[in-house]
Amino acid sequence: MSEPAATLEWLLRPSSTANGIDRRALAGLLVELARNVGPPHAAAPSGIVPIDPRLEQLRGLLLGREIEVLSRLSEVVEDPEQLAAAVARVLPTAIAQASTDARLGQVLAPALEKATQTSIRSDPRTLINILYPLIVPAIRKSIGEMIDETFQSLNETLKHSLSWRGLRWRWEAWRTGTPFTAVVLRHTLVYRIEHVFLIHRHTGLLIAHAAAKDAASQDPQLVSSMLVAIQDFVQDSFSGAERQGLDSLRLGELRLWSEPGPFATLVAVIRGNPPEGLHDGLRAVLARIHEERPQALEDFSGDSSGFADVEAQLTECAALRQAAQESSRKSSPWRVILVAGLLLLLAAAWGLQRWRSDRLWDDYVERLQLQPGIIITQAGRRGGKFAIAGLRDPLAADPQQLLRDSKLDPARIVAHWAPYQALDPELVLRRLRLSLDPPPSVTLAVVGNHIAASGSAPSLWLARARAVSRTLPAGTSGFDFSGVRDVGDGAIGKLRAAIESQQIRFNNGEPLPPPEENAVLDRLATQLEELATLSAAVHETTRVTVIGHSDATGGGTFNLSLSLARAEAVRALLKKRGIDPDLLAVRGAGPLEPLEAEVSDAARSINRRVSFTIEFEDQQ
Amino acid sequence: MSAAALQKKICMLGGFSVGKTSLVKRYVQSIFSENYLTTVGVKVDKKSIELSDRLVSLILWDLAGEDDIASLRMSYLRGAAGYILVADGTRPSTLEVALSLRQRVEADCGPLPFVLLLNKIDLTHQWSIGDAELKQLQDNGWRVRRSSARTGEGVEDAFRDLAIRVAG
Repeated sequence: MSEPAATLEWLLRPSSTANGIDRRALAGLLVELARNVGPPHAAAPSGIVPIDPRLEQLRGLLLGREIEVLSRLSEVVEDPEQLAAAVARVLPTAIAQASTDARLGQVLAPALEKATQTSIRSDPRTLINILYPLIVPAIRKSIGEMIDETFQSLNETLKHSLSWRGLRWRWEAWRTGTPFTAVVLRHTLVYRIEHVFLIHRHTGLLIAHAAAKDAASQDPQLVSSMLVAIQDFVQDSFSGAERQGLDSLRLGELRLWSEPGPFATLVAVIRGNPPEGLHDGLRAVLARIHEERPQALEDFSGDSSGFADVEAQLTECAALRQAAQESSRKSSPWRVILVAGLLLLLAAAWGLQRWRSDRLWDDYVERLQLQPGIIITQAGRRGGKFAIAGLRDPLAADPQQLLRDSKLDPARIVAHWAPYQALDPELVLRRLRLSLDPPPSVTLAVVGNHIAASGSAPSLWLARARAVSRTLPAGTSGFDFSGVRDVGDGAIGKLRAAIESQQIRFNNGEPLPPPEENAVLDRLATQLEELATLSAAVHETTRVTVIGHSDATGGGTFNLSLSLARAEAVRALLKKRGIDPDLLAVRGAGPLEPLEAEVSDAARSINRRVSFTIEFEDQQ
Repeated sequence: MSAAALQKKICMLGGFSVGKTSLVKRYVQSIFSENYLTTVGVKVDKKSIELSDRLVSLILWDLAGEDDIASLRMSYLRGAAGYILVADGTRPSTLEVALSLRQRVEADCGPLPFVLLLNKIDLTHQWSIGDAELKQLQDNGWRVRRSSARTGEGVEDAFRDLAIRVAG
């Protein structure tokens, strides 16, 4: 029995080709089937052949379809690509179904984070493109809100700056040196006292209370006691033994000011932004109440009847509020218009005045600029005054004189002039006039860019003028004398020549001329008179010298006396003919200035004579 | 505000969890939250009582209940016209606290009218203060009342009793 059993063992060993079938169980099953079919086969398991093709056939018959499905499935599962395709088909549905499960998010989150990081790192634009539709409206909304806010605040500012009130606040800010915004705050944040409590200090009980109209109100008795409790709490907690209570509380826009008195504390509930000065007002009310009812306050034991007067005072207090805004609102428009109009008028008058003075000043400066010998280097307004500076030739026009003509207030002008010498023809002319002192017969004028002299002048003056013109600084415009006639020429010159050409003859040894010379004397008298008239016309002094001559015969002294006597005689004779003797100088030349050599009587006769010389001088 | 009302400051004193706050919560006029008790240590309520001739407003200062007598803020008692001592009838220890509180108040403020409330009378089966003990206190001239914040028993009477005495 042992051998067949071993064979069976061998048969039933697990086989690699058996597709994982439990051969022992299968064999048992088949034996059982065989036994049922024919009992003789009961103990003959040895009939099983090692590889029974029938078994495979049976398998194929029984499980053919399943094996096919399984092999297809295993193929799909084992091939990554097919598996991926299969999963991809169901993945969206699977995720959709699993999305209700919180774990999905937890599981996916790290992977997604990593993926997002990688994506951003590789190309941030992708994320930007994704977020763009989300971010842009958010940014736009935020910017819109910001602009709205800015606009609103700008609007406020404009409202305050453009209104009459705004202007007044600007004025106040300028006057007090505080920033404009602070002034706006001070005025826009009005305060109002909503409640006033008078609280008995010892018991914390309410003595009297007043509230502003329409002020929200809780039970004042409870409020006052609670206030005292809170004050006690603060005092106990923070300030130890000091009898210093809590004097100010702030909650949003509500303030609580507590003013302690000997017997009672005044507590004001204020909405808004009260000025520090209100403390004084509250203290004054409290002091008055204490003055009026000291005993009642001290003895107060909870009976608040009989404090009606105190309540009236508190009511007065509770009516306190900032009045600035109210009053400005009340001011009627015509007043504003009137004040504004007045200001405008003043401004206009001031502007006109300024404009006029500016015009006057401009005119003045312009006139100065036109003056030769004045150079303006600086002109302008300086601190309400006009300032002018420059160079001025001392011979130029006087700026002070021009100023007097300009109607400007001389007190408003500050002038500084540095002296210099101008080369303008006009100034050169003035300088020449001063230094040359031309005779009235000479006219000096600027012609083009040079100075021309015209008229007539004695030779001496002409010579001096020429000398001066040569000493003028280089670059000075020219000085033209061609228009000046030397008084030695012309009518007066001819007259001079005519007079000088004449002689009066004398007989030998005679100091008086013979009668036949009277005609010559008459003619001379006429000519001398004419000369005097002419020289007066040209403003020149004519000096006529009457010179007596003798011939060379006879003694020298005698001849000199004789010649002088002849000259004197002629002067006397001319005087007799109406010639001013002061015009005539006399000189005796003796025989020293003969006309001809005395080789004959005729020559001697020619030398016995009286001659004339004429000189012109400047009339000084 | 009823200007003619007589106001009196009354302190509510008692140990921890004796039901003071419950007493005032239901029977008084209150505007402040109970948080005040834990923050400031006091909460003020008002109980108005109509007496024959006038209205009396009891301004009730509910002091935070503490078993530690030393921590009592005596400044809160300043100016009180009377006080209400509250003890828990189910916990004899709270009566001890109430008695020592009374001593403390007596020492600081002198003799003041007061009422002792033995609270939580509705918890009859837990009641643990004997009648003898109660009688002993009453014999001392104390006003002792059994009260219940839940049913209101004794509460109104206690307030009225105290109002009459402080207004007198």
